[in-house]
Amino acid sequence: MPTEYQTFVGTPDILKEGQEIKLAVKDLSPGPRKYDCRIVKAMLARDPEKLPGSDVLWLRSLVGRRFPKPWAIKITEELGDSMPVTPYQLGIEVTKMLNEDLG
Amino acid sequence: MAFKDNRDFIEALKESGDVVVVNKEVDWDLEAGAIARHASEQEGPAILFEKIKDYPDGYRIFATPVGTYRRVAVALGLPADTPIKDVYKVYEQRAENPIAPRVVEGGPCKENKMLGDEVDLYHFPTPMCHDGDGGRYIGTWGFVVCKDPDSDWVNWGMYRFHINSQRSLAMSPAPGSNLGSLFREKFMPQNRPMPIAAVVGADPLCSIASSAGHPVGQSEVFLAGGLHQEPVELVKCETNDLMVPAHSEVVIEGEILPDVSAAEGPFGEYPGYRSPGFEARLYCRVKGIGFRNSPILTMSNLGVPPDDSHVGGCISISISLKNRLQRKGLPVLDVYQNPEGAAFMLIVRVSEGGPEVVRGIADSFGIRRAWISKIVVVDEDVDAFDMRQVLHALAVKCDPATDILVKETPPGTGNPFSPLVSVEELKTLKGSMAYFDCTWDPKRPRDELPLKSSFDSIFPEEIRKKILTNWSKYGF
Repeated sequence: MPTEYQTFVGTPDILKEGQEIKLAVKDLSPGPRKYDCRIVKAMLARDPEKLPGSDVLWLRSLVGRRFPKPWAIKITEELGDSMPVTPYQLGIEVTKMLNEDLG
Repeated sequence: MAFKDNRDFIEALKESGDVVVVNKEVDWDLEAGAIARHASEQEGPAILFEKIKDYPDGYRIFATPVGTYRRVAVALGLPADTPIKDVYKVYEQRAENPIAPRVVEGGPCKENKMLGDEVDLYHFPTPMCHDGDGGRYIGTWGFVVCKDPDSDWVNWGMYRFHINSQRSLAMSPAPGSNLGSLFREKFMPQNRPMPIAAVVGADPLCSIASSAGHPVGQSEVFLAGGLHQEPVELVKCETNDLMVPAHSEVVIEGEILPDVSAAEGPFGEYPGYRSPGFEARLYCRVKGIGFRNSPILTMSNLGVPPDDSHVGGCISISISLKNRLQRKGLPVLDVYQNPEGAAFMLIVRVSEGGPEVVRGIADSFGIRRAWISKIVVVDEDVDAFDMRQVLHALAVKCDPATDILVKETPPGTGNPFSPLVSVEELKTLKGSMAYFDCTWDPKRPRDELPLKSSFDSIFPEEIRKKILTNWSKYGF
């Protein structure tokens, strides 16, 4: 069974396919540790067939609305539970901040 | 005698009929939160969830502790049916007599400890409050203790925080809050961590006191002592020098790091909407946790009114604003944040109104935060605690052309939780406040003022007395 994860984005268009990007994801595995947050490097694809052996990434908007169709995710590296940026950079979504070149 | 902990408070609520004990197992993942939300929206009782999925017997959740004025009255040791106006009066009298805390050697919050690598925030049945929240909020009706490194000032503040990982919290105090200001001004520039203690499940009056809008330099623990009418017992943390209420259920000790951040939010907040989240906010590395045997977490599942944030969380701010206006010499009699206004609205009752008084009120409000955006000023003959009377005054005594004063406030002072603020606007966070003058202008000749057509004001006293004496004889 693939593991399910979740992240929050202003729009899915920010996510680049076919290249490694950094994300803050919540692990949705059932049990008392559900929603654990980790910062990861991962490959993403809208179509799971383009990323064999991938897990599931549910996307939610910044106000928590879930997009209907999940993406595929393959985590390549775990980077811990904190982001290497100073706090209080309000109004800038996390995914953009972790991948400054993503615009 | 005030309650030292939530356990005694729960017993008192059982006696007054203001708590439901749920023995059926509930899921911490949305089920407990949905029950609490549904109950809040019906102005229902508090809830003690006795059995939580995935967690041992005895690990409990106490939801919506002070979500009605009945429960606030019980917390103050008053009869549950005490009128709101009298609850405010008692609160204000006690707040005028702050009492210093007493340091004790040990306490129930030391019954169990996790230190260093043992720390595991997932040990507790923290609820996932709403579908789509950014995490499991262990801090919804808890408070954070921090200290000014250059003085004796200890701040208690009610800020939301969720579990980030086994050993870290994501926290969301606004940059302009007392904690946020201390951190930005006295810790971040030196690149040093800020010690904090997050208190979950303190007694109801400590929690209410922590929501007070005290200015810099004033410690909320003195207010808590005043409300208790006796010193709050404090005990020292294990990993830093901060003091916390000894009878708390869970105390999370940690430090907020200056050079990293956590993805915090979003969260269904007190305005009744879930505003944008998942931003780089405060990362707290947890160094130790103390907790009672069979710990009881608290949960306030915020949303559309009424809930704890609109009731128990508003009294301190209302009274603190009343004091501020009176110190400025304004003829203010009452200040009330009605629960329906979701803490965005304030009713100010004055002995004499008019544009100058309303401008004085507007000038007196600080611009540190423009989080209350609608201020309704009413005359003495309006009961500020009765929304029917307030809405009547707003409807008929406020001229849209001349009686609404709008003031913009500087960038950074707006309310980040407002549903009106877009993601882009979070960067500047401008604020605005509107003052609705529902008072008679004192320059208008008194004899010309229309007479209120109410039972109390448009009939002679002997007629009113006769009517009231014979009321049941008329068949009512």
